[in-house]
Amino acid sequence: MISTELKKVILKQLNLDDFDLQDETTAPQVPGWDSLNHINIILAVEEHFKVKFKSYELLRLKCVGDLQKLVDSKLGR
Amino acid sequence: MNNFEIGEANTLWKRWSLNAKKNPDRDAIIHWVAGEEPLRWSFSRLLESAKIFSAHIRALDIKPGEVCAIIMRHNAMFYPLYLGISRTAALPAVLAYPNPRLHPDKFRQGLEGMSQRSGLDYILTERELEPLISPLIEKPGSTIKAVYFPLEWNLNESIDPKIDNEIENIANSVNETDPFLLQHSSGTTGLQKPVVLSHRAVLNHVVHYCKALRLSENDKVVSWLPLYHDMGLIGAYQIPLAFGIPSIQIDPFQWVLAPVIQLETISKEKATLLWLPNFAYNIYAEKINEEELEGISLESVRMIINASEPVRHDSHEKFANRYKKYGFNPLALTAMYGMAETTLAVSQTTAGEKIPEVIVDRNKLQNGVVEFAKSNSITRVCVSSGKLIDGCDARIVDDKRNDLPDGFVGEVAVKSVSMFDGYRNYPEKTAEVVENCWYFTGDYGFRYQNEFFIIGRKKDIIIVAGKNIYPEDIEDVVNQVEGVIPGRVIAFGEEDETMGTEQVAVVAETKADDEQSKNQVRMAILKAGMTIDVNIHKVYLVPPRWLIKSSSGKPSRKANKEKLISATDPQVWSR
Repeated sequence: MISTELKKVILKQLNLDDFDLQDETTAPQVPGWDSLNHINIILAVEEHFKVKFKSYELLRLKCVGDLQKLVDSKLGR
Repeated sequence: MNNFEIGEANTLWKRWSLNAKKNPDRDAIIHWVAGEEPLRWSFSRLLESAKIFSAHIRALDIKPGEVCAIIMRHNAMFYPLYLGISRTAALPAVLAYPNPRLHPDKFRQGLEGMSQRSGLDYILTERELEPLISPLIEKPGSTIKAVYFPLEWNLNESIDPKIDNEIENIANSVNETDPFLLQHSSGTTGLQKPVVLSHRAVLNHVVHYCKALRLSENDKVVSWLPLYHDMGLIGAYQIPLAFGIPSIQIDPFQWVLAPVIQLETISKEKATLLWLPNFAYNIYAEKINEEELEGISLESVRMIINASEPVRHDSHEKFANRYKKYGFNPLALTAMYGMAETTLAVSQTTAGEKIPEVIVDRNKLQNGVVEFAKSNSITRVCVSSGKLIDGCDARIVDDKRNDLPDGFVGEVAVKSVSMFDGYRNYPEKTAEVVENCWYFTGDYGFRYQNEFFIIGRKKDIIIVAGKNIYPEDIEDVVNQVEGVIPGRVIAFGEEDETMGTEQVAVVAETKADDEQSKNQVRMAILKAGMTIDVNIHKVYLVPPRWLIKSSSGKPSRKANKEKLISATDPQVWSR
């Protein structure tokens, strides 16, 4: 399940008040989440959670749930 | 510099065959997938596989001159398929694989419009797209005769020597003036213009552009650029293949997720040459973690060529500053000006020399006059796109197509030995832009000391990350949004300095008057953009009758953009 914290970081970066982000939500389903913005979202998540992602980890991300799992694994959750 | 003689092989198939004969084991294409061993096509193996594909094409009774559109994701079989089509004298055309964001109906409509305009005869694609594309065959007026799935063809069977001979005879009967490929001038699907290039146009371009690039047998190209884009197709695919040097092809979808892949590839493969749109310099300069750059070396890079969107001084500076410590030579930064209609390049700056720049008075420039900035001027740094390459000529002209002297901004008109033969099935459009063999580009620029500086566009095309977007397409979908007053919408490009590109902005009139309903209208506008795969970056909502009309009665993009920028109007809501 997507944490409120991650959702907040993503929505802030996309300049959206609210959007129903589910585990299976993919970037093309979210307004504003295009390839240019993707990199900004990743950097915002890294900065907020004080984590660093590797490129091969980013290539495996298929949906928001995968991003949540990656953040959790970095934080040892 | 390798001596490249057209006389040795006057069609592309003959040229590829010659390359395979001269250097059978040299890498032709290095198909790159992150995390996997790259698949290396040597020139001889690539040609052998192309022959097998050509036998399949022939068996389907696809005739010389018929157009085979390829819609495929990053796949190692793409390259021999493309060559195989060409061997049968049919015309390959690469179309973009639909982004998941694009609504299926919009993709179908775009393809339908494009097929009628371009006269696409066959679609060669992946099975996944069958439900989307197959219904188009039955549509009245459709030119599409069939849809095929070449990735499912049996490539292990050997070709009947008689058939092989028959196809080789077809390939040998092709003349240099015959059409070789069809590429689309970039733009949103329905409005793309089909450009047919002959063998001679492409081979001439290889001769002249390679001379400007000082290309040698030691060069190695690396690219993530999509192959439906002229810079990817001609620059990073056709040129190296014809010249006989390797080209590393990275998946564009992987690149956008992890741009560092290209830098890793350069380091591993010691690549020397790449083309990039301007926004990519900003991404490399500011959006890659330092930790990811461990072990990266850009020492091998001889040239990075900035093209397909306006070249920005700051982007170059940021990139050079960051990558100097990774062995990057700032003099490897170069720029090009080109377009699909002239095969690709018209002008190119010189590798190993600093790109010429001029600092001019911004206000004077807006009024069409090039004047060096004074101490009190508001300045603009204009970056040169280089001198004309051999075989090209260019003029700067006014609205009536009369020549303007140096020091004035006008439309760029070009003439080239690699010029297209007109838009396919579109004589009225060709007549509009071609006059006495001069192609009127619609780009605004000026010439200074024989260098060409491109500063804007006559038409309101928005260029986001190297992709041309027509505002009409955006306005069409936004006009249908509930809460927006129909016909009272404009779309335009806004400079995004951080990303080094333009972003799409929309101004729409609405009767919504409270914060909640304005936010609802904005969300609906963003979603409308998504259906055509356009990210609307900023929405301005204005009350009824706010937009200024042009003489045609439609809201004027230019006047309204200026109105928006020039003053803070409390009636304008934006987010």
